[in-house]
Amino acid sequence: MGSSRMKILPERAVVIVGGGLAAGLVARQLVRQGIDTLVLERGGDSRGGAESKIPSQRDELRWDTRHGLMQDGALETYTLRRSRSEASLPMRRLSAFLPGTGVGGAANHWGGQTFRWNDHNLALRTRFEQRYGRSVIPADMTLQDWGVTYVELEPYHDLFEKLFGISGKAGNLRGQIQPGGNPFEAPRQNEYPQRPLEITEAGLIFKETVEREFGFKPYPSPAANSPDPYVNPDGMRLGACQYCGHCERFICEANAKGTPEVLLYPWLEQQPKFELRRHCHVTGLDFDRSSGRVRGVQYLDLATGESFLQPGATVVLAAFTLTNTRILLSAGIGRPYDPESGTGVVGKNFCYQANSGIALFFPNRWLNPFLAAGCTGTLIDEFNDDNFDHAGLGFLGGGYIGVNVSSGRPIGQRRLPPGTPRWGTRWKQANAEWYAHTCAIGAQGSCYPHRENFLDLDPDYTDAYGQPLLRLTFDFRENELKVSAFVTEKCRQIGRAMGAAHLGPVSSRTAPFDTRLYQGSHVTGGTILGADPGTSVVSPRLQHWDAENLFVVGASVFAHNSGHNPTGPVAALALRLGDDLVRYHQKPGRLT
Amino acid sequence: MNSSDVSSRGRRAFFRTAVLAAGAATLNPTPSQGAPGDATPAPAAPVGYLCFSPDEAAFVEALVEVMCPADDLTPGGIDCGLAYFMDRQLAGPFGKGDRLYRRGPWRPGRPEDGYQLPLTPEQFFKAGIKAANQACLAAHRRQFPELTAEEADRMLQAFSTGDLKAPVFGFSEWFNDLVYPLFTQACFADPIYGGNRGKVFWSLIGYPGLPAVNGLNMVKYRGKPYPGAHPPKSIEDFS
Repeated sequence: MGSSRMKILPERAVVIVGGGLAAGLVARQLVRQGIDTLVLERGGDSRGGAESKIPSQRDELRWDTRHGLMQDGALETYTLRRSRSEASLPMRRLSAFLPGTGVGGAANHWGGQTFRWNDHNLALRTRFEQRYGRSVIPADMTLQDWGVTYVELEPYHDLFEKLFGISGKAGNLRGQIQPGGNPFEAPRQNEYPQRPLEITEAGLIFKETVEREFGFKPYPSPAANSPDPYVNPDGMRLGACQYCGHCERFICEANAKGTPEVLLYPWLEQQPKFELRRHCHVTGLDFDRSSGRVRGVQYLDLATGESFLQPGATVVLAAFTLTNTRILLSAGIGRPYDPESGTGVVGKNFCYQANSGIALFFPNRWLNPFLAAGCTGTLIDEFNDDNFDHAGLGFLGGGYIGVNVSSGRPIGQRRLPPGTPRWGTRWKQANAEWYAHTCAIGAQGSCYPHRENFLDLDPDYTDAYGQPLLRLTFDFRENELKVSAFVTEKCRQIGRAMGAAHLGPVSSRTAPFDTRLYQGSHVTGGTILGADPGTSVVSPRLQHWDAENLFVVGASVFAHNSGHNPTGPVAALALRLGDDLVRYHQKPGRLT
Repeated sequence: MNSSDVSSRGRRAFFRTAVLAAGAATLNPTPSQGAPGDATPAPAAPVGYLCFSPDEAAFVEALVEVMCPADDLTPGGIDCGLAYFMDRQLAGPFGKGDRLYRRGPWRPGRPEDGYQLPLTPEQFFKAGIKAANQACLAAHRRQFPELTAEEADRMLQAFSTGDLKAPVFGFSEWFNDLVYPLFTQACFADPIYGGNRGKVFWSLIGYPGLPAVNGLNMVKYRGKPYPGAHPPKSIEDFS
């Protein structure tokens, strides 16, 4: 892959690395203004193949258990150590989180929960210091404000919701709290474009219980699952959700899930100024340190084996969260984070989520878990973010709590009461007895940055192309263990009040971090945004501090992770970046 | 464990011994002989194993008969296709290490680090069979397939907890992270893979299978028994 053998292609105005959600949204804004845009995607398409057609689409073993749509860990995985004193080990079978691959990326196989993060979430350090005093943030919690406000992002949240036909119920319309919605959400200008999904039986039990027993305000999960046929502002169409229980980890065969390969790329590929180049595995950036400019993107064409340099006047990193960091570290752009001194930025503030759940068993209620969509959830936000008083609790953060019923897929989603034998006749009896009568109450716990949780390049392990794997130095630290214990106990109390005959083990998220257990794919940080070049990789406008024509977008720019899914802010930031790049294209320079 | 299970095991043990003595390559899963509760007629039984040796086949057949005894809920594990499923999975891409990162250096890890051995799943599975038979010889002076159902059940418990004398093999990881997932997958995956024969496990629990177009059912059957679960539909039904 030496540059001497690398073919140099004609320059393009904007070159975007990665063909997922963020890339598609950036490209949409650019192409609408007639700006030449090229997207490089390492994978191919998943429309029209076995993954998107009946009956093979409904194959749990192939797509879910065996991760048929996910990044191939044999080619590229990540290594982990839980502290700097440990040797790293590769996650040989990617399980804890599941990056996607192919056009649409992880947003093809997502479930569809689409939250706006409320205004205080983007300025947590300021919020906590003002509310609880400067000493409340521990020295090793590297929280920092994003330098972006919710008010700036609101029009982009609104646009994304319209583009993806998001369903839900507003909780705060222009400052007026709305019954049935989430009262803790920040003010929105408009109602969701589509009505909420139908509620599940388990959701009903949860809703009635928390209203009656606790006075909480449950709301339907905001969803990129279309309850009705929908046409978006670009004329792209969604079908109606069939509540088939094969949503997250699957391609929607009914075109009812808001995904980039349904709503963005087919539209983009009709535009004359757009090109999507598939099977292009990006191997590096050509960076001119003296001018502080990226000349272009190096990639390996996986269809031909040839190496190319694709020059670009503007380059955007919009790959999977962890890939953005890996590319910057490999290219030597920006100072790598050093936990010893707390200086440097690339790889800093890697966060995950402290998710937990408890199985609930209702012998006399038919919960029918297979009648479900990816986002048929009923949730509360009373214990999320800083929606409750943390004084004296000894931790910061929280999580949403709720009953998400998304599937009754029998390999992965069966639940059995504690004490059930693991095989034999009694095991079979218990499966027959409980399958249709269980659900789980769960919490999506926030994860705040810790000085010792960071990303760098592994010194020993390489990918299939000979490049270093990204190394995660990560564990759940004291704050997250306390958050998880707190929200999991709330789950237990609500589960009891719901009248469950049995509760599964009440196990909050614990250390050591277990790479075998799926814990959600919401990894964030590594190329964080911020107003101070000394503590962030990109500016609040997502422009790299050390390379003026390089921009980074995706959850890698999040300075922390909250108790809500990350897709909403990813999408809003991407749409805003698209508009910013139109300005940059017209008048290059530092964006303010 | 009732007496009919024991006699069923005895019958299989006889067949196995006879076949092995005759030097046959494998023991075919015998078609269901009207086991109690076998309401759905099983499709024609596939013949032969792809990657199991006769000894390995005997081990796996004994294993699935203990973990899924014939009873009034399902036929025995062999007749449910469970051994066949495991053989096909281990002989195919999964068993050969598909999606598994297999570059060194090879360092020992703790359980939370996940699988860290330089063996493919097929190799690890078979290494475990050898080690498990050794452990059974040490404890019972017989290999696993020759144990009574109760003895075999106790050995499986010991493998799952790793509670064995002088364990030179990672039984807990082998059983919990490889054997047990293959067992539940064999029971609940689409029958196209060879297990869950006749959709017997889907019928047992009331999983409707596919295609599940539930736009109206979502409201109509909220909180009620779902009649569409009987009989369930599999890939074969739509092919």
